[in-house]
Amino acid sequence: MPSKQRKKPSTTPSLVFYGSAIYDFLSPFRKAQNQWAARYIVVIFAIIIRLAIGFGSYSGMGVAPMFGDFEAQRHWLEITQHLPLKDWYWYDLQYWGLDYPPLTAYHSLVLGKVGSWVHYEWFALDASRGFESEGLKSFMRFTVIISEVLIYMPAVFKFTRYNGKQIKQSPIDQTIVACAILFQPSLMIIDHGHFQYNTVMLGLTLMAIVHLLNDNYMLASIFFVLSLGFKQMALYYSPIFFFYLLGRCCDFKSSNVSFFARFNIFRLSLIAISTVLTFAVLFGPLVLFGNMANLLQSIHRIFPFQRGIFEDKVANFWCFSNIFIKYRTLFEQQQLQFISLLATLAGLLPAAIYIFFKPQKSLLPWALAVCSMSFFMFSFQVHEKTILVPLLPITLLYSTNETDIIALVAWISNIALFSLWPLLKKDGLMLQYAVLLLLPNWVMGNLSFLTPKFLPKFLTPGPSISLVSKDQKERHGLPSNWIWSLIILTSYTAVAVIHLLDFYVPPPQRYPDLWVLANVSLSFGCFGLFWLWLYYKMFTLPTTEY
Amino acid sequence: MSSTGSSSSHSPSKARKRTNKQLKSALKKPTNSSIPTESDKPSSRTFSLWNIWVASTLLKTLLFPTYHSTDLEVHRNWLAITSTLPISKWYIENTSIWTLDYPPLFAYFEWLLTWFIPGDVVQDGILQIVKEGQGTYGLKTIVFLRITVIISEILLFVVMQWFVNIQAGVRRKTFAFIVASSVVLSPGLLIVDHIHFQYNGMLFGLMMLMIVFVQLDQSYWLALTFSVLLCFKHINLYLAPAVFVYLLRRECLDWESLKTGRVSRAVRWVNLFKLGAIVVVVFGLSFAPFIYHGVIPNVISRLFPFSRGLTHAYWAPNVWAIYSFNDKVLTSVLKVSHINKLASKFLIYIPSVENIVERLANGANNGTKGLVQDVQFTILPDITPRVCFLLTLFYDILSVVPLIVQPNFKRFVGALTLNAYASFLFGWHVHEKAIMLIIFPFTFLVNERRILKCFMVLVGAGYVSLFPLLPGQNLLKWLYTFIWFIIYFVSFMEVSKTHADSFSVRVFLFDRVALIYLIGLIPMVLMVFFMDVFKEKFEVLQKFEFVGLMIYSVYCATGVISSWVGLSWLYFFDDSIWEEEK
Repeated sequence: MPSKQRKKPSTTPSLVFYGSAIYDFLSPFRKAQNQWAARYIVVIFAIIIRLAIGFGSYSGMGVAPMFGDFEAQRHWLEITQHLPLKDWYWYDLQYWGLDYPPLTAYHSLVLGKVGSWVHYEWFALDASRGFESEGLKSFMRFTVIISEVLIYMPAVFKFTRYNGKQIKQSPIDQTIVACAILFQPSLMIIDHGHFQYNTVMLGLTLMAIVHLLNDNYMLASIFFVLSLGFKQMALYYSPIFFFYLLGRCCDFKSSNVSFFARFNIFRLSLIAISTVLTFAVLFGPLVLFGNMANLLQSIHRIFPFQRGIFEDKVANFWCFSNIFIKYRTLFEQQQLQFISLLATLAGLLPAAIYIFFKPQKSLLPWALAVCSMSFFMFSFQVHEKTILVPLLPITLLYSTNETDIIALVAWISNIALFSLWPLLKKDGLMLQYAVLLLLPNWVMGNLSFLTPKFLPKFLTPGPSISLVSKDQKERHGLPSNWIWSLIILTSYTAVAVIHLLDFYVPPPQRYPDLWVLANVSLSFGCFGLFWLWLYYKMFTLPTTEY
Repeated sequence: MSSTGSSSSHSPSKARKRTNKQLKSALKKPTNSSIPTESDKPSSRTFSLWNIWVASTLLKTLLFPTYHSTDLEVHRNWLAITSTLPISKWYIENTSIWTLDYPPLFAYFEWLLTWFIPGDVVQDGILQIVKEGQGTYGLKTIVFLRITVIISEILLFVVMQWFVNIQAGVRRKTFAFIVASSVVLSPGLLIVDHIHFQYNGMLFGLMMLMIVFVQLDQSYWLALTFSVLLCFKHINLYLAPAVFVYLLRRECLDWESLKTGRVSRAVRWVNLFKLGAIVVVVFGLSFAPFIYHGVIPNVISRLFPFSRGLTHAYWAPNVWAIYSFNDKVLTSVLKVSHINKLASKFLIYIPSVENIVERLANGANNGTKGLVQDVQFTILPDITPRVCFLLTLFYDILSVVPLIVQPNFKRFVGALTLNAYASFLFGWHVHEKAIMLIIFPFTFLVNERRILKCFMVLVGAGYVSLFPLLPGQNLLKWLYTFIWFIIYFVSFMEVSKTHADSFSVRVFLFDRVALIYLIGLIPMVLMVFFMDVFKEKFEVLQKFEFVGLMIYSVYCATGVISSWVGLSWLYFFDDSIWEEEK
């Protein structure tokens, strides 16, 4: 990384997080032999915060007759254990029919069996529809947490460890980066507040990324297919995985090699075999215990092309430009699908081609971020929650020594949380939203300028940081480039204004969604700028050895 | 912070050992160049609780919507009483059974809070005087009350920060910072104040302020703070012996003239008068309106209700928990007629089987089965309030004797801790929440390894014994307590001194046993949890519905009592720990 020379003399470890609260907390454990304690402290506090978020309401709490995502997940735990496999994708589709790939169903089956063993009424077939109790809520929340602890968290630590070593970060900084990734507010509030199992899909993808970094191509493809088999949203990453793996099987550098010798056919076939086999294992039971029609039905359920170009209000290109151009009146459904496909491809192809010709490990998070962001902005049928998919590779960018990158990533993750506001407001998660707007920023040291300088000295000897000298404390959440600083400050001001309007001013009768549209427009603007910045950074990223 | 303390304390001794200078410099070089240490910039070290406050406040905010006990309604009712009724009616009003039963200053505090209630919270129904359980208040009221807890707790943070600031030298500051952070982050406060709902944080702030004043050698301020604290919550009366003796010895007795036999000159009457005046003025001012309205008898009867039983519904982990448990065991053993006959041959008084059955039918010793006004034991002699009082007083007097000889900071805090212990272990109708009254002063003493062991056993048992207060929130309370325990175990280990004689360290209090005990808390908690979860599934478990609570109190009582024995031993028989540090 180019910034490393200008930062500090080489004798000191990188000090990117020196001013942050989390550094303050973890510095007593920064000795090598106490690092385990630091890691466990991060993990346990991450779980504690998730539990505390979980005390809030969930999607569709007490809203009969359809309830919300919580009921959907509970319903799948119910049907998968009571119905034979061949009925899973057919049973009463009007009431939260299963519309995720089979691994979700298997996951639900296991959890459902455990849950029924604890308390039968929670998942009794049909009788349990809309069942709500404290016990059930605790159990469901617990399943999300345990899935995350087993799948997502180890992957995060593996990634930060590997990447941290490559960019020569001190162990304490690696732990802090892991903490920053784990305290991604949008993911926390959607999984543990709204209720979903996104961390399973994201964790499997992250596992695949870690295996790519370790050159385990087969394992990487297996994990990625598992991720796809859990939620089809992992498709947003697939072009990069495909072209990266393909690029790894081709050799463009060495000269004097014959055309065929440039291709590592053996590696390619191994990757292909492992991919196909994993797919077969995942989807096989659907055919084995049912028939071909069952498989087709599952695919039909997974890719609902009959739905609209976007759902509710989402901060992507279509929803934003729909304010001015009413697509649904101008075009047919088929045409819209085609246009959005073209736009998505145009958005992601530069990144895909670039990673094909330059399959470099340090490029992976950038390319994945660009690609999934393109999908989010231009593809068909996007939910607001889908922002979590691009957010995973974006938050991985925290693993860097450049404070500018950290500042921008922190900014976009705030904006992402803001873009979820209408959804969270509907769920009744306002309090959790407010806390999560502050907590990760403050943990990362973006709010260190808020330390109480106005209080008398005897109350606060020295501002926030216990062990750090004054000049190293000043790290605000802003990059060094003033244009970016201006953009960020403007967007934050706009966020504040929109919130104030939303809170105090009822929208005009003619436009009941006015504040939501303002939210969408602002978020889309920020996402667009960030997407361009990602492209710019990716193309200018220096060639590194790993 | 902890690591710096230990490295600075160990390095001189290590340096002395290394006589070979060359070796020393050769060893030093690479370590110095690779990692910068804090000692390079000593001026930069500041110890601030600011970050901790922000972090814990954010966590506490997330806890707003979770479970709260009836204590929330109690305090809501008090808000309603103090805001709507004239002051003369405060201690007479009894529409709800949650009557005002704290001393006047707390009532004034509630009254002060009513100034800040926003209009829509009043609309929400926060100020209704209704029968218990019939209030129609909603989330807004809860949020308002929870915020008042968080704000009033700032006092504790400020006092602890002050305690850190007055320490001289990095080593002492490091230790003080660990003490301060462990107190403000205490799982007890999180469970009792921010989930269960009470205002302990503020009250403990006052108590810590007393300790700060002792450290600063400000006896009059100590007297003032203690009187104020008493007028906030009279349970602190249990601490009076230590405070009283300390003030008497420190300010009012002339030790030298007493030694030389001139008893007439031994009492400094002026100081005694001043201290007395402070106490009288504080009490007078706080009780004045009630004296004026002539309702003092009502106030007193509210403050000291004698109609409660020996143990609470859930036995607090004290001596009486073990006592009740033994009674239960003896009952079930002696119900077997053969054993009964056999035993009656050797022992003087054994009730017959019929007698036991009859007593059981009358509802003797069913302590953990719900609220009981008066506990009767089946086999063992019954306990009267007088017995409790005498036992407490006996250990109180015992614990202040060394304070007379050596009236310094450590002895004072030690006596305070032992007073709290005595009241907790032998008191009448003790609440498990009172365990924090022991833990908080105890924290100030933990700079020695052997004390650390007693402390860890106490906090392990004490905080775990608070778990049954909450019906759910299991994983949160477990994990928070667990990680708190690990963090402060590691931190205190690094800053506490080892005793010179390493053999005695090993033998003392059987450290291995203590470790096994602490680890045993985990399966104990899990077992009781699973018994509770599966009680609807397996009917066998329903018969043991109250066994879980009994396991909790007996297991925790063992820990609390053994930590008390350990501390008492050190307090009475090891003088080296209690000398003032230079």
